[in-house]
This record gives sequence, structure tokens and C-alpha cells, in this order.
Amino acid sequence: MAAFGAALTVVLTVGVAVVVTVWLRTAIDPACLVASERVPSLGGGEPEVHAWSRYHVRYYAMALLFLAFDMEMVFMYPWAVVFVEEGLVALVEMLMFIAILLLGILYAWRERALEWA
Amino acid sequence: MGLISRLAASADVPVFPVVGIGGRTAARSLATLGGIRVVDHPRAAVLMLLVGRPTRSLLRPLLAVHDQLSGPRCTVWWRTGRDGGDELVAALPAVEVLPVGDASALRRVFTELVNGARASDPPALDDIETTPWRGVGPYGQGGSGMTGGTPYGRPLVGRAPDPDGLQLDQLPLQVGPFFGPFPPGLVLHLEVQGDVVRHASLGENPFTRWPGDAPLGPLESGVFFDAVAEVAPVAGLELARARHHLRWASDALRLHGLCSPARRLAALAERIAPGDAELVVRIARQLGRSRSLASVMRGVGVVDPERHGLRQGIVARSTGVPEDARLSDPAYRPLGFEPIVHEGGDAWARFRQRLDEAAQALILAERAGERIRAPGPAVEGPRGALAAGAPSPSGQLLGILPELLVDQEWGDALTIVTSLDLDVEEAAHEVPAEASA
Repeated sequence: MAAFGAALTVVLTVGVAVVVTVWLRTAIDPACLVASERVPSLGGGEPEVHAWSRYHVRYYAMALLFLAFDMEMVFMYPWAVVFVEEGLVALVEMLMFIAILLLGILYAWRERALEWA
Repeated sequence: MGLISRLAASADVPVFPVVGIGGRTAARSLATLGGIRVVDHPRAAVLMLLVGRPTRSLLRPLLAVHDQLSGPRCTVWWRTGRDGGDELVAALPAVEVLPVGDASALRRVFTELVNGARASDPPALDDIETTPWRGVGPYGQGGSGMTGGTPYGRPLVGRAPDPDGLQLDQLPLQVGPFFGPFPPGLVLHLEVQGDVVRHASLGENPFTRWPGDAPLGPLESGVFFDAVAEVAPVAGLELARARHHLRWASDALRLHGLCSPARRLAALAERIAPGDAELVVRIARQLGRSRSLASVMRGVGVVDPERHGLRQGIVARSTGVPEDARLSDPAYRPLGFEPIVHEGGDAWARFRQRLDEAAQALILAERAGERIRAPGPAVEGPRGALAAGAPSPSGQLLGILPELLVDQEWGDALTIVTSLDLDVEEAAHEVPAEASA
């Protein structure tokens, strides 16, 4: 009897979920809009082509630099763990690592990769 | 009325203005009305406010914009100037005519809509998909992904090289005539790659008067047009000039997100008097020191008077050309008029030029007293010289606009359009002939 009660609860819950989902769909679905309500607004102009277009992501150089320095931070965690043990050697190695990255950012700066355009 | 309806009804009324013939001045006054929020996009509006008389060219865009308002929605009409346009407005569902400049009437319609006392407008256009989905199969089915057929019936865009040597999609768009940040009636055919304009051309002027059309309505700069053929008080002309430049500055500030100072400047423009010269000088100095405004306008839309063939007018003066029809006007000689010029010719120079000329116009209005200007061959309007038979200043500025927009990012393109202070309706007007003595 207990098993039957559990099954009934599941069936009822699923039934309510289905009804609510269907009601939500009709309540907020943009398909209820007519054709002229669905198009993007261009101040009276109408779209001629599909809006799915490939464009230049001009922040990609900045995104790559961000990733490079993000990875540097990840590398610093294990370094911090062994820093006391290794001492000066670890400090020098980290400075060399940061110097190489710094050269990279100076190069990107010179190449105007940090400018938006 | 429930709590939510009451709260909604107490909000500022979001209004999207669509401007027809002779409606620009009244549409500007919206910015000074308390409890009204002018929105730049129809989706953000509840009321579509038609100001002035629509033309046949404006009808289809008007219906399209109407349907793009989110519900509940309603259209109201401020009739200005000459009558007419009723047969065109009849294409919209249930338009109520309201008194011009009456914020309480707009509030009443908004409240009725929000609390359900008034039904939301049905769509004005039929539910016909102009470009239905067509797959690759014989019955319009099938295809692989979005490239399988013509998704939503529209072809995919073509590619073109970009300055980095990549082949990227180039999206053709028609923007306007009711695009919020553009002057009313401006239609631009653009091709954009991402947010960069690659090609631009002007669309048809919707205010062009065809045979059989009713005469054009009162222009915003009408007092200057009238002064070509009629006597006019100098102080009246200069006050109108100051008001015009301050209204423009208000628009420019609003475009750059400074809504509160924009509202204050719009209110000042409506009550400006000759004694306010010092106040306007102070405002011009404060805004001229703004680093944020300078950073978005400096170097944008540089006009070269030689290359663009612009020899006179306020835009030419912002490039250092000291040409002004008031120099040869006998009415201005005793007033000690000297043209103001700026260097650079960019949007920032034009911004400071207009503010400085607004202050100068108020000083001239104060000096002019009761002085009357006799009809003359050329009147210096707020954009440039108006002379019978010559193209209007807006017409000249519209001519150089497409070239200025090419290779500009969208934000800069909007700055350029605003900085030129275009009036598409003025471009369709003819300057009246000078009255013969």
C-alpha cells in the first residue's frame, strides 16, 4: 500500500509539472506573437537577411592575455606550497617566470593588442 | 485596481514618439514633461505617441513600429500644424487624439491600459510571415542545421573582407525612419560587420512632398525660413537660435547617457530669455571641461571643409571657417557681431561651437532690443545660411553623412549623426523666395 502511495505521489507530481509547463509555454511563448511582433526592431526598417552572422571578436587578444595571467596564478599555488622549503631558488625561478610573461605583455602592448579595434 | 496595477500605474509613462510632418518641436517638449519617460526603443514603451502628420512613406514603418511595442500598448496622437493624415492614421487600431503637451492626458491613457480599463491594441499588420521557413526538401523540409535551408525564410548574409584580412559576414540593414537616437525621418541603408559600419547610404526622404500631397507643416527652424521673405525681430531670431542649440545639446547629452542634465537643459531651452546669457556661458564652460564627453566625441566624425565642400554654416565654423551670413547683414552690424570658430571639425568641436553660439545668440538678443531685420538674400539659420534657390543646410549635411559613417563603430556613428544636427523635414523644404521690394 505504501508503494502504491509513493507511485501515486510521483504520478500526481509529474501531472502537475506537465500542466504548469504547458501553461507557462502558452503564457510566455513568443510564438503567440504575430509575425510583425516577432521581428527585431530597426525603427521601422525590416530585416532582409538572417541575423546569424560571424563577426570579428575584437577583444580576443585581451581574452588570450587574461587566460595567460590566469594560468600564471594557478601555477603560483603549488609554488607557494614549496616556497619555504626551496627558499631563494624558488623566488628566482618565479621572478624569471614573471619576467618572461612581462615581456609577453610588453610585446602585446607594442603591437597595440590592448586597444579595442 | 490591485496592488501591482497601482504600482505599475505610478511609474513614469514610457512613451515612444514617432514624428511626422510638423511634429518635431512638440516631440521635443516631451522631454520636459514631468512623469513622462521618453524611450529609445518601442519594446520599452507602452504608449506610441504620433506627433504631427504622417506621410504615405511613413505609414508602413509606423505600423511595423506599432506592432513592436510590448503589450499592453496604445497609440495616441498629438495633432500639430495643419490638418490631414486621418486616412493614414485610420490604419492603426484605435488612435486617441490628445491635446498637445498635456502630460496628464498621457498619464490617464497609461493608467487605463495598466489597470485593464482600456484594451491593449491588437497588431496593426496581418499575421503573414513575409519570409516563411524553407528547407532544402521538396516540401520545404529538411536541411542540416541553420544552413540547410533559408532559416526563418531570410537568406544568410554575404561575406566581405575586413581590415584585418578576415572574410567576415556583412549584414545589410535599413535603420529608420523611427529609430530612437536618429532625427525623425532619417533612413539609412547600412552594411555592418559586427558593430562597424562598412557602407552607408541615405534612404528616401519620407517628408518629400509629392504632387497632390498636403503642404508641409511648420518647421522647427521655420522662423528663420520666414525671415528670408518677411521682416523679423533680431532678438526673436537670436532667441530661437539659442533655444535651438540648447535643445540640440540636450539631445546630445541624452545620447551619451547624461539624462538628468539633458532634462534640465531641455527645460532651460523652453524658458530661455536674453538675460540668461551668463548662465548659458557658465553651462558651456562646465560642459566644455567635461573629460568624459570629450573622450567620446574627440576625433569622431572629422569634417574637412575642402573635401566635403562645406563652405558655410555652423559645421564649417567648427572647422575654423569664419563664414556667417550675419556678417553681411545690415541688422547685425551695430551689434558688433563676430563669428565664433573652433578648430578640429570633429563632434567635440561641433558640440562646443553650438554651446558657444547659444550664449552668443543670447548676448546679441539682449543688444538687439527692438531692432528689426529687413528681408534679405540670406538668413543665418541655426545650421547654416538659408537662401532662396540654395539647398537647405540640412540637405547639405545629409549629403556628407554617409561618407562620415564609413568604418565607424556604431556608438561613434550615433555620435556623428547627432553632432550634425540634421532635420530631414527641413531638407524636404524649399526656402521661400525673397519678397520683391
